[in-house]
Amino acid sequence: MMVFKRKKKPSFEGGGLLLFEKVEEAIRAEKALKGENYRVKLVAPPPALRKGCDLAVEINLVEQMGIERLFKQKDVAYLEVVPLKGDGELLEIVKLTNFEDATMVKAGNMKVTFDRNTGIILNASGGGCPDIPYLHAQLIDKKLTEAPRPKEIGFTLCALMMDRAFEECLELWRKGGN
Amino acid sequence: MLISGTVPIKDLPLTSGEARFEGEFLRLNDFKIPCSQGTAALISAALATTDYLKLEPPKVLLVGDNGEGMGSRLIYEYLIKNTPDLSPDVLVLHYCLPDMALMRRLCESVERCSKRPIMIADASSMYAAKAAGQAAKFDIFTPDATEIAFLADPDATHPAYINKHLFDTDITRTHELVTAAYQLKSAAKLLLVKGEIDYVVKKGQIIDTITEPNIPELEAIGGTGDTITGLVAAFAYAELELHEAAIIAARANRMAGKYAQATPGTRVWQIISQFPAIFKEYLCEWSGVCYVAPNR
Repeated sequence: MMVFKRKKKPSFEGGGLLLFEKVEEAIRAEKALKGENYRVKLVAPPPALRKGCDLAVEINLVEQMGIERLFKQKDVAYLEVVPLKGDGELLEIVKLTNFEDATMVKAGNMKVTFDRNTGIILNASGGGCPDIPYLHAQLIDKKLTEAPRPKEIGFTLCALMMDRAFEECLELWRKGGN
Repeated sequence: MLISGTVPIKDLPLTSGEARFEGEFLRLNDFKIPCSQGTAALISAALATTDYLKLEPPKVLLVGDNGEGMGSRLIYEYLIKNTPDLSPDVLVLHYCLPDMALMRRLCESVERCSKRPIMIADASSMYAAKAAGQAAKFDIFTPDATEIAFLADPDATHPAYINKHLFDTDITRTHELVTAAYQLKSAAKLLLVKGEIDYVVKKGQIIDTITEPNIPELEAIGGTGDTITGLVAAFAYAELELHEAAIIAARANRMAGKYAQATPGTRVWQIISQFPAIFKEYLCEWSGVCYVAPNR
């Protein structure tokens, strides 16, 4: 008699891992995240990624920024966030484009453009995560020095990259706009 | 045509219906949604096109989500359950928190449609499709220059984690990135790669490029990538060949930037407002469609 076993489809694939020094930290982190409606699961980290203890929390990597902010607020200890594939490094390169009176800073595919004479944010573009249209609305027409930081009000990797562009804009503005 | 995505109004429940473009706002039932970057811009561009062509307007499926993901999951679950019954001619997936498992289930659900829709993804829905290994099931992706590097990266599940050597490329390497994306099965059948040069790619081959008019300011304006996707979707819905839809969308978007005299501070609704005049002036020349039958 043949027995057919149905392959169970994973109900959650996050693409990112939270690593911890101690098992109890991983358990506490999972509880904190579930309490905030994050979809996560406890897993054993693959040997190549293992640091600290042998329990990790799989997360939706896109939600890295919101999760790290939550941990800071709730004082949850963790070692680091790593993607399950790839070299694990966030893109740090920024590129500048100058227009007549404005400068556009690009970090990854996120762009922030400000007026060099006034320091006012003229536009924000790029990306594709749901917090980006929200950040767009929150940043436009505000001075760089007065606008909320994307990393304080966003949740996703797109917001993290937008914050990188924002930070560069702020630095340029403080140096004199160029 | 069904267009789905999130909008930055946190308390907007999952809502479907026909939207109306009203300049700075998009109206859906009793909700006024700012016509800014994101799915609102995509829908508004599609509406400008279907209005001009006197086609049935797109149905839209929207939900509020500021990035926390709850609204996004409602969209996925709704589409997984209802797409086979809705069986739209064109299905556009846009801003939604990427979820690989849910995207895979959605693609399985689409297989149950009586007639397979033209599948279009942009923004994070494109990220989810690539990361979940479902890209080849899509008909059109509309990546920008960084996102084509993401599609060409075998490991990245989000553009923030692409290999820096892929990001640090110039537009002359687009052909190489396109080839890599197709080899990895990380591309849709047709790509419209948006940038200083727009590339139209069919099954791995660059079949056209669009460079004029050259309006560099468009890159700074939030939502001008979304409008291209809305235009492509609407022209595909109008039964143009997909590559023709892409070429005309790229041309129209650039021309709208010129008509609006775009600056880095221009708002996307000001770009969208130019489309009717552009269609009137150029659509016949670009597409060969010179007569629009009333109320198709």
